[in-house]
Amino acid sequence: MSVTSSPAAAPAATVSRLLARHSGAIIAAIVFAVLLLIVDLVSAGRLTYFDISFLSSGGATSALAAIGQTVVILSGGFDLSAGAVISLVNVVLAKGMDPMATGTSVALWTLAGIGVGMLVGAFNGFFIAVLRMQPIVVTLSTMFILQGVTLLVMDKPGGFVSPDLGAFYLGDAIAGWIPMPLVVIGVVLLGWFWLKGTRFGTALYAIGSDPDAAASVGVRVVLVRFLVYVVAGGCYGLAGVFISAQTGSGDPLVGNPLLLSMFAAVVVGGTRLGGGQGGPVGTVFGAYILMMVVNILLVLNVSAYYSTIAEGMILILAVLAGSLSHGSVLARQLRALHARLAAWRAGMLPSQIDRTDRRLRIARGSTDDQQAPHPAFHIRNAETLRYALPAYVCLAVVVIVTQIWLGRAIVNVTYWNSLFVLSSFLAILALGQGSVILTGGLDLSVPWTIGLSGILLAGMVNGSDAALAYALPAVLLIACLIGLANGIGIVFLGISPIVMTLATNGILQGVALLYSQGTPAGFSSPMLRWFMTGKVFVVTPVVLFMIAFVVFAVLLLGRTAFGRRVYGIGNSLRAAQLSGIAVGRTLILVYVLSAVCAGLVGIMLTGFSGQASLGMGDDYLLPSIAVVVVGGALITGGRGHYLGMLGGVLLLTALQMLLAGTTLPYATRAILFGLVVLGAVMALRERRIQ
Amino acid sequence: MGIGSKARRLALLAGMAVCAFGMSAAEAAGKHKIFLSMSFIGNDWQAEAANMVKAMASHKSMADKVDLQVQVAGPNAQRQIQQINAMVQAGAEAIVIFPISPTALNQVVKNACDKGVKVFAYDAEITEPCAYNVHIDQEEAGRVTAEWLVKKLNGKGNIIAVTGVPGTSVDDLRTKAAKEVFAKHPDIKIVGEAVGMWSQAVARTELSKILATRSWDDINGLWMQVGCFTANSMQLEAGKKVSELLPCAGEGSNGGRIQMLPEGTEVEGATSPYAPLGAPRMSYASPPYSGALALKLAVEALDGKEVAKKTILPLPVVTNDTIKLCDEGTWAEMKAGCNAFKPSLVSNPGWFASIFSDQTPEIGLAAALVGQPEE
Repeated sequence: MSVTSSPAAAPAATVSRLLARHSGAIIAAIVFAVLLLIVDLVSAGRLTYFDISFLSSGGATSALAAIGQTVVILSGGFDLSAGAVISLVNVVLAKGMDPMATGTSVALWTLAGIGVGMLVGAFNGFFIAVLRMQPIVVTLSTMFILQGVTLLVMDKPGGFVSPDLGAFYLGDAIAGWIPMPLVVIGVVLLGWFWLKGTRFGTALYAIGSDPDAAASVGVRVVLVRFLVYVVAGGCYGLAGVFISAQTGSGDPLVGNPLLLSMFAAVVVGGTRLGGGQGGPVGTVFGAYILMMVVNILLVLNVSAYYSTIAEGMILILAVLAGSLSHGSVLARQLRALHARLAAWRAGMLPSQIDRTDRRLRIARGSTDDQQAPHPAFHIRNAETLRYALPAYVCLAVVVIVTQIWLGRAIVNVTYWNSLFVLSSFLAILALGQGSVILTGGLDLSVPWTIGLSGILLAGMVNGSDAALAYALPAVLLIACLIGLANGIGIVFLGISPIVMTLATNGILQGVALLYSQGTPAGFSSPMLRWFMTGKVFVVTPVVLFMIAFVVFAVLLLGRTAFGRRVYGIGNSLRAAQLSGIAVGRTLILVYVLSAVCAGLVGIMLTGFSGQASLGMGDDYLLPSIAVVVVGGALITGGRGHYLGMLGGVLLLTALQMLLAGTTLPYATRAILFGLVVLGAVMALRERRIQ
Repeated sequence: MGIGSKARRLALLAGMAVCAFGMSAAEAAGKHKIFLSMSFIGNDWQAEAANMVKAMASHKSMADKVDLQVQVAGPNAQRQIQQINAMVQAGAEAIVIFPISPTALNQVVKNACDKGVKVFAYDAEITEPCAYNVHIDQEEAGRVTAEWLVKKLNGKGNIIAVTGVPGTSVDDLRTKAAKEVFAKHPDIKIVGEAVGMWSQAVARTELSKILATRSWDDINGLWMQVGCFTANSMQLEAGKKVSELLPCAGEGSNGGRIQMLPEGTEVEGATSPYAPLGAPRMSYASPPYSGALALKLAVEALDGKEVAKKTILPLPVVTNDTIKLCDEGTWAEMKAGCNAFKPSLVSNPGWFASIFSDQTPEIGLAAALVGQPEE
């Protein structure tokens, strides 16, 4: 960071510091204002109070939930259970309210909703803060458990939420001037400002910036972390109350799709993933920006097939608007390029300077023959074993339970073959997603990279083995380009990985729809089908490929310079930069690797199913993240071994096979799945901070 | 290569031109301003339904009456609420909706009705009484298919059930109705149950999981909301003979229909498993023409005709006795009773073949494939 401003008068400095500190929120507010202006100018009539009222209620649920998510992210956490909490509160209210009763107490049911949310938050907080488990696995497990519980409360849409609730939350605070949703959000924000001023608020930012430093100055990390999830749960609960008021009924699936856009709202609002920087005010604008997109698409009359593309573009542009400042990544990249060019002209680039080895010669000791004893395997790999083993131990348990419950597992070749075939998709995704996570990023473009690759391949191959020869490289090349686009956006434009890959995902979906006109043509060739479903003796060919792939992945991450760089960047970006690692190039390669893995999975799925279909990759996003973390990798990067991730893949697949073999209802299966995952990662707890 | 692919390429170009510059021919006075709020466009059924709506709107009988704008809400009910509000504000006369939730939209729909907007829901239902609904009877679908399977198995045997998306009304109604039928026959045992998410790809993964600990020989029949085509392919891969394929009550995909044709039937473009196998099947579907029909009914309602609040579509059921291959797939030809399409025309076996309705002579195969209406 260079100091660019000349010493100015004290008040001016304060103002500029304030601006700098809140730049994320300010930019989000400006972008929102511009979008509002666009809608106003392009749409037929002027914006009236009613439009504002509709807009404010439309974005309120995501805004409220995203405020909770922001608090979690500020503390360095991650909460995947948010959408599920909203659904749960919605069905609890819809089930609990008496349709006959008049004069329902709004306050009582609001408190009930917030209470349910806080209870879930306390559950999350206990495992994350007290047992020191990774937020992403805990909240993912909670998400599955809650989805099951929600279906137990209400197995299909229905129920009744008293209109009193709707009248209160959707009405006017001051008729004709201020709609109620804005007041609700305002009250929550005021609560946040109060909280921020307390010791808890300071501790929250401290933990998000550096938990170790916070602990050593006496912050009670455990308590603060616990409270963070409780507060966040309360916000999701309120969001659930709001959506209940808005819809007047219950739907067990209503909250689930809100999850991804919630993260986008947080990032668009200027909060940094990983913690310590940002705040809920920007998030509220972020949520409304995402909501406004619906109106913009309508007034611009963007056709259906283009809508996800337009949405992705708007998302990128909204974030890029923040890059117009002097300190942004884009500006830095341009300056660096300029400096490099100048250095090259002056002949000062390292590559242009005489590069004879000028290191000091280290005198070698004469006691060469007396080598230090080579440590045993389990000592050398203690760290890896500790994080990778639990997955395998749990896998063994699941297999044994399968044997006892369903029979035909341990000595049944078909069982093992199916296990490996079904695991192969996630095993390959785990390398890509795993490498991205090791660098501290996340790849959300996996679903439609899979979908588009499969559709392209099926269309090109169209049943001919000969066509495979050019179709395979072509599809993988396209996957490379997708990864390249992700990488360039993240490295050179400085867009957060979540936003960039989320936008790419939407754009790819649009491209797939346009290419296929909604009906994917073609089917896989006999050889590809044989590869995925045929048999060599008793083994499906893809299993052999998977073994080779595992060897390749282990070597790539463990034994190559590329692998070392990935870990280096994950441990500390700054340190990696200073020790001369080409961070940008490595990051781009990591996203290319992830896209190629997803492309490969698209091809394999096409072979497995015989054809490609739209949305065929949708079910692979969350599992691809889950297996990486269950396998012992750290979501914030730097730690994890591919064999551990492989253990995670096998464990989750074996568990699903066990549950599929039973006739338990789906709700029970979801709850069991969540509990087992939670149990499996208990062993992965962080060691207590010394 | 055939008519299909050529037509598709043409339509793609045309579609791009139209889409890029928007169908902003709204200036033409006297047109009804109608909006279509789709849910998620990223699956085969939705995209096919969207094509048919587009074709309906561009048919010569409609083109000068309708100004249609199509918008996508994604899987998020909250956004659909926002979208419907915006459509009402933009001056919609009628809104045709694929409702993401049967209940969550009630308030916004009521609000739209109060402003005089006609709201039509297709495929799934909106429970708000002022909305018009166009869909099949889901309970009937569950019951009829279960009864067929029971009869086929003579009331005795082990079956596997593959359901839809848990937590939706459609899945709940179908599955509960079917289970009621199975419960009346104590010798019918459901030995495996999986969530199929209405997707052939998911059905394959789930069936693979079940069959890891079970063998095809222990199973006598299949009840699936989507996945019979895949199940038949898997049985062939596992070494079953064509004559040993298990009876399967399930979806109306074209792949499944082609498999129902007697083995050895001459069909252009057929390759195993997308080929005639004489598979014992009952094929039913939530027909993708429902959106197009809803649009037509909406125009009728705007023109002052009386339209019933509830249009229950006849359940399109095809069995091995009624299966018949179409030659070109025109509406007239389907009217004469054909219900399966050549793989050379429809190269995606997962494509939904129940596109015929007595009430929609405007749209045929070309409409479902590329959004082109009949002459």
